[in-house]
Amino acid sequence: MSTAKVSFKNIDKLLNPESVAVVGASNRKDKVGSIIFEGLRRSKARLYPVNPHEDAISGHKSYPQVSDLPVTVDVAIITVRAEKAAEIAEQCARCGIDNLIIVAGGFAEAGVQGRALEERLRAIPEQWGSRILGPNSLGVFVPENNFDTIFVEHGDRALADGGGIAFISQSGSVGVEALGLASNTGFPMRAFVGLGNKIDLNELDFIEYFGAEDKTDCIALYIENVEQGRRFLESAREVSLGKPVVALKAGRTPSGVSAVSSHTGKLAGSDRVVSGAFRQYGIQRAFDDEELCDAAKTLSYLPPARGNRVAVITGAGGFGVMCADYIESDSSRARLQMAELSERTITRIREKAPTFASCHNPVDLTAGVTNEMYVHTMKALLEDRSVDILICITFFAPHAVTDQLIDRMADIITGSDKPVLIFTEYGPFTDSYLKEFYKKGMIGFPSLTRTVRAVRFLVERGRIVSALRVGS
Amino acid sequence: MSKPNTATVLKRWRSSISIPGKPNEWESKSLLSSMGIAVPRGVFIEAGKSAAAAVDPSVLGSTGHWVVKVCSGEILHKTEQEGVILDVTAEDLSAGVIALQKRFPSAGILVEEMVPYRGGEIIIGALYDPTFGPAVMVGSGGILTELYKDVAFRLAPCTVKEAHRMLEELTIYPTLKGYRGLPGNADALAEIVSKIADLAVDLIAEGCQLDINPIIWSRDRWVALDVKAIITEDESKRVDPVPVSE
Repeated sequence: MSTAKVSFKNIDKLLNPESVAVVGASNRKDKVGSIIFEGLRRSKARLYPVNPHEDAISGHKSYPQVSDLPVTVDVAIITVRAEKAAEIAEQCARCGIDNLIIVAGGFAEAGVQGRALEERLRAIPEQWGSRILGPNSLGVFVPENNFDTIFVEHGDRALADGGGIAFISQSGSVGVEALGLASNTGFPMRAFVGLGNKIDLNELDFIEYFGAEDKTDCIALYIENVEQGRRFLESAREVSLGKPVVALKAGRTPSGVSAVSSHTGKLAGSDRVVSGAFRQYGIQRAFDDEELCDAAKTLSYLPPARGNRVAVITGAGGFGVMCADYIESDSSRARLQMAELSERTITRIREKAPTFASCHNPVDLTAGVTNEMYVHTMKALLEDRSVDILICITFFAPHAVTDQLIDRMADIITGSDKPVLIFTEYGPFTDSYLKEFYKKGMIGFPSLTRTVRAVRFLVERGRIVSALRVGS
Repeated sequence: MSKPNTATVLKRWRSSISIPGKPNEWESKSLLSSMGIAVPRGVFIEAGKSAAAAVDPSVLGSTGHWVVKVCSGEILHKTEQEGVILDVTAEDLSAGVIALQKRFPSAGILVEEMVPYRGGEIIIGALYDPTFGPAVMVGSGGILTELYKDVAFRLAPCTVKEAHRMLEELTIYPTLKGYRGLPGNADALAEIVSKIADLAVDLIAEGCQLDINPIIWSRDRWVALDVKAIITEDESKRVDPVPVSE
């Protein structure tokens, strides 16, 4: 752990720099360096453009060389191409700059020359103590202080309110596209970190950092290969005791058991070992970007489920039936079951439900549903001891269901120690409803599959928490 | 409960293998025995030796049914090579041994009691994963194991509790809990999986694999009917795994 602890201070500075140099900042709008520089003007950090061909950039004095800078900046963002980046990174390190973000690609992934350049970068941390994020990294985005080095669209305005999820991604584009889409309906972001080729800082450093700080309540990872396998798992387990860790591990590494004649070797591939290891160490595995974002958002907002019994409330019978089918279908993540409601609950619901409603699970209040009935039924279901989780199928089509329902639902949901998820569809207004839910502390999805899938993550998390607390 | 000291057991065992790095089934089974895992009663006849030992009623008894198998670290697919004769009676035993000796003149022969069982066939395995190191597997065994892919993996070492969770993931799990009256015992199986995980920590280096397939429930205990081990003799390839905190 000691090496990681040392880098905590570095990572603090990397995420909250007081001063930042942008090497390759430019007045030419089409340059990556200029897009990054413009983006950074929204942050509070003092900015120092470095470019020998410019005198000033957007009113900031430009410096010809890193060595000409009047201060030792906390972070240098190196936006020039690979061939020059290695040399500039060495200059930065010699000047004592603690953190370097290297944006350019074209290193190890680009043949012999690229590999030689990457070797030069690898030598830097040991020789001068500077830490490197990248190369081939989009850098970081911290909504809290507007420090954002990402030069492509990533829903940054929509994510500006921040939140508790630390999103650590080996791939830049998977990260930004996933977040961009998630931002449409709201996504609580503590920070985004693009790892890139991770020649120095890697997922282990960041899982330990975000695991230890209070601002993060969930860690989401996209990784293609795991550095220091066992140590990564150990750290993840440690973190998982206190907050959920969701990981999308893509790409199968060669199994290393090529000359296999055992059944075990053939069955392992390498992916089944990953799934088993993740389960053992309390990491929840996602299989695509949408699932990763859905799971992280749900786990960040809602308490883990204490059991697997789900109650469903709907105004549309068909969706209630479909939802029950999804709930009872097989899943390797977590088996769910439809809750058996108590007689008392059923009687309570019937008191206010339309005469032709079905008051058993799934509770179908029919198109005659009103705000009042909906709220009454939610309360009755959440107070039933045989219910661990509630899914609200909430449509705003029935004439007696109005937008006032949203606030009343929010009161119940944010005050409940049982998780409640909403499924809604309302034509072209679906996303704005989902965003409205999100702003009021609720989790909603525009499909039953995604809703039930998110429920399984909460049940899985509940099991992880109890297994870790009880001990191995 | 005192566990046998796996490292010591292994060291002794490694040095006793006739073809270094390629233990035969008899040798692999002796390793399991020394770890407290049951294997069928049997006799090993070295290459070229007489079948008399196998047929001696004072060794194996005079009743029951027997399996005669070719037994060599060089032959990994003995069924495909017609190296197994099942359900041999005591009076046919000698002829069975001689027949296999003719087919495989340079190999040893293993004569084992044919163990009766009704429940499901289980596979337990171990291997070395390039990212995470030694790992253990349990699942639905038998010849269709690769078709069903009903298996669960964990890294080694693996506690008995964690091994239980592996079993719960399996489709075959209900058969361990009395499904349709089938005999089996999940607790005892979880203990064995955990033991094999301990073994994996010391045995499984790069390139090593272990299959116990099938292991079945017979006469109130799990019995390993077949074992295949591929190990490396190159000690330098052994990687000490980072200890797992419990």
